[in-house]
Amino acid sequence: MVLSFFDQFMSPSYLGIPLMALALILPWTLYPKPTSQWISNRVLTLQGWFINRFTQQLMLPLGRKGHKWALLLTSLMVFLITLNMLGLLPYTFTPTTQLSLNMGFAVPLWLATVLIGMRNQPTIALGHLLPEGTPTPLIPVLIIIETISLFIRPIALGVRLTANLTAGHLLIQLIATAAFVLAPLMPTVALLTATLLLLLTLLEVAVAMIQAYVFVLLLSLYLQENV
Amino acid sequence: MPQLNPAPWFTILFFSWLIFLIVLPRKVLSHTFPNETTSRSAHTPKTEPWAWPWY
Repeated sequence: MVLSFFDQFMSPSYLGIPLMALALILPWTLYPKPTSQWISNRVLTLQGWFINRFTQQLMLPLGRKGHKWALLLTSLMVFLITLNMLGLLPYTFTPTTQLSLNMGFAVPLWLATVLIGMRNQPTIALGHLLPEGTPTPLIPVLIIIETISLFIRPIALGVRLTANLTAGHLLIQLIATAAFVLAPLMPTVALLTATLLLLLTLLEVAVAMIQAYVFVLLLSLYLQENV
Repeated sequence: MPQLNPAPWFTILFFSWLIFLIVLPRKVLSHTFPNETTSRSAHTPKTEPWAWPWY
């Protein structure tokens, strides 16, 4: 069997257990159960601070009606950022590189925001299809364009996360392979490649966090329009 | 691309939502946020003594 660079994204099993299952179950052991102490340990304090500040920040533009989504969106953020960051460790499997997972989250949540808008305030929800101040002759074209852009949203949401993480992992593997192969042949170039790899890894850490945040932020924006 | 292999799509979807709905909200909700503590004042405030009845 010839290995290709895409094989890291397959959904493999090890000893009969699919790695996807392990990658989805084990990260939550890193989040201990909070105690009833007023001042807890560092890990719990950090996690609590993050959850608190994130929820506060995300709920600011949403009105009271949007606050029902606080738990869902914060859980989604914790889910995505943990999976993304843990995937950067060597030999780990990143579930968020799977299109199935990302589309599986993007489509239902986007659809939920659209249906909420259509049910509670259908005029306002449909009114978003026509930006203010459009010249009259352009109205039909613009409505078509806005409808297309509305339906592209879930696809963009899912594919954005998948593509960013997949591309990052692929690049890391490629450049690592290059550095490894070059090491006996051209050590100086291999050293430069290794430096590039270090910088790329730092970039991927940032991308992991940012992409998780962007996913949840865009969902909150779609909610803001419709709630 | 192996991600486009449709075989485990539904399993992945189902399993990831299961974990997302069962495990995560419990962990997120169990964090409580007490009110911010106030610092004790340096001096105790002077209380006014009350030695006579209300009326």
